[in-house]
Amino acid sequence: MKKRVMDNPVGVGKYTGLLLIAPFIAGFFLFTLYPFVSSFILGLTDWDGIRPPRFIGLDNYADLLKNSRTLDSLRVTLKYTLILVPLKLAVSLLTAMVLNLEMKGMGVYRTIFYIPSILGSNLAVVIMWQFIFTSDGLANQLLEAVGLAPVGWYGDPAHAMGMIVLLRLWEFGSAMIIFLNALRDIPREYYDAAKVDGCGKIRCFFAITLPLLKDVIFLNLVLQVIAAMQEFNAPYMITGGGPMGSTYTVGMLIYDEMFRYRNAGYANALSWVLFAAITAVVLILFRITGKINGNGKEERA
Amino acid sequence: MKKFVLLALCTAALSACGSAPASFTSPDHTLDPCTLRFSWWGGDDRHQATLDAIALWGERHPEIEIIPEYGGWDGWTEKVSSQLSGSTEPDVMQINYDWLISFSPDGGGFYDLGLLTDQLDLSQFGDEVISFGVSNGILNAVPVSISGRGLFYNSDTYRRYNAEYPATWDDLIALGDRFSEYGIYPIDLDIQSGGTAWYLAVVYVQQTTGRDFMTLDGELGFTEDDIRAALDFYKLLEEHHVIRTIDVRTDEDGTAALYQSPEFIDGRVAGVLEWGSSVGKYELTLSDGVLEAGPLLSDGEGNCTGWMIKPSLLYAISRNTEHPDEAAAFLDFMLNDPEAAEILGTSRGIPVSKVAEEHLESTGMLTGLAQENDSLLEVLDTVTISPYMELPRMKQMYNDAIEKVSYGASDTSAAAAELYSGITDYLARLKR
Repeated sequence: MKKRVMDNPVGVGKYTGLLLIAPFIAGFFLFTLYPFVSSFILGLTDWDGIRPPRFIGLDNYADLLKNSRTLDSLRVTLKYTLILVPLKLAVSLLTAMVLNLEMKGMGVYRTIFYIPSILGSNLAVVIMWQFIFTSDGLANQLLEAVGLAPVGWYGDPAHAMGMIVLLRLWEFGSAMIIFLNALRDIPREYYDAAKVDGCGKIRCFFAITLPLLKDVIFLNLVLQVIAAMQEFNAPYMITGGGPMGSTYTVGMLIYDEMFRYRNAGYANALSWVLFAAITAVVLILFRITGKINGNGKEERA
Repeated sequence: MKKFVLLALCTAALSACGSAPASFTSPDHTLDPCTLRFSWWGGDDRHQATLDAIALWGERHPEIEIIPEYGGWDGWTEKVSSQLSGSTEPDVMQINYDWLISFSPDGGGFYDLGLLTDQLDLSQFGDEVISFGVSNGILNAVPVSISGRGLFYNSDTYRRYNAEYPATWDDLIALGDRFSEYGIYPIDLDIQSGGTAWYLAVVYVQQTTGRDFMTLDGELGFTEDDIRAALDFYKLLEEHHVIRTIDVRTDEDGTAALYQSPEFIDGRVAGVLEWGSSVGKYELTLSDGVLEAGPLLSDGEGNCTGWMIKPSLLYAISRNTEHPDEAAAFLDFMLNDPEAAEILGTSRGIPVSKVAEEHLESTGMLTGLAQENDSLLEVLDTVTISPYMELPRMKQMYNDAIEKVSYGASDTSAAAAELYSGITDYLARLKR
């Protein structure tokens, strides 16, 4: 008896563990599982957000496939992801490598490069973007200074997405931080040994840095793809989805259906389509990189 | 166990949405100390006037505190819409005309003001005025003012180029041609939340055909040909340099509203189509007295029909309020109190409350652009705007069509066919 008290000094019973994780479990049920389940159910209803929902089965999903606006927004979202993510990975990796150099005051630069990521897309950024990209703004002044023709950034459907991509590209901080940490984990000895063997900088990058960063690049790739496919803020604030729907992402469509058109059932169905699309893209990425890893192993064997 | 959890969640999910029909807190016919939330949208002129009026209320009723919540129009509907869905809306709200159909089609979306007549004096409002606030036979809201869009011009620019304000549609187009030499525009229209581009095109077609675009109970009055005529008219305005093309406008302004646009402030865009009740924000960005009301355009042969009016704003009380008496007393103050009327002036248009209007009249405060616009509309045979015309999805459809025509992505016939079927489908769905 006494020994047992020693082993279990506060009288931990069989439910104490459960009690200790209860706050997390409650939060998970309330803020993750409940919205998840209810959004799926609401996706099967016709609901204006005010009156009781009416069950309509898969009608929302059937409408979705016929609706050109929805299909257009999916196309825009995929195009945006395809343009933004590779650029962002390249820029953040490059910056991380520069910041990884042993130089004085690097901490300051690291902070400076991270600042845009904190800003997000708030009003100040919107005004700055207007200042830069409207017809007689900074961007066109620079173009004219080097003898190029000015560009209609906001008004031309072919260019508007460029502004959004630039905004998100400018906010490469979090991807950069992840790369920076991974770079620091690569032992210096590898580079020193390679240098002794007469390996150049570029060869070092492809033979040492890139292979060792493979997993982190994949991690960043998945994180960035997920974030890009959910894009809402930047087009909402900067272009309002226009012109001609060229920056109208699925995120904006969901918002409009939910809050502007009071078509909550449809908006919830759309969220599930977006969820499915993201899952599909991420699975494809896993499949592709899985193959690359597999090939690598075979070669080594 | 798992099944049970899932079942419980499903039930909870379904019962949480779709709020139960509200049983109002009954009025107790006394004013008790409490705190009321009051929300409105508008420009800075309206914000300041309203805050001043609330301060006056605070002196009279220190026990009933008013918490103001205000902002610009963009995104305001979405904000209130999510508040209403979650039953967290303010006690007293400034609401838009179409909200009655979207938030209270059965009349149960807002408090029944008919129950609060001992605090709220409805005798100050004409029957027709009151009818605008009725949904499904229940008085949901009281109009603050009735107004229509009118044309307002930058007098400096017009004087500089020795031009007169256009009186007919032909004048307007001729003026566009003339101004194009100088790279300036007689007016501008937009396809943002205001949607003035479609509005002016509708006025034009209503005037030429005598048909109303949409009836009050949501029947489409225009034919597909009428819609094409409206889009053709819009295209004509662009071609004659009357307004900026959408391409040029977004390049120059981004997504900024016209009154914040450098082109408007500099006078290069020398006119605007705006509600008499909201023109204050345009006045504020120009020097005093620069903005002037111009004539409402006619065909030059005495036909000046087709211009539209609507209750520009209404006040409603939340169906979830716990203080209906106090909320009604505050509404009465905002609508019918002479001193409050003096402070508020025409920041929400010319008040339709008789006592407020008479007081403004007697103190000589019925001046300014809102009043000029009002009197221009008063003498015309106007069309009352259908609340269905203002529904956000409708606006989106007009704006999409205008955008396609402006960018040349489709010709006016194709755009008209698409818009016509879009509107008829949507109206049918609303009636279902």
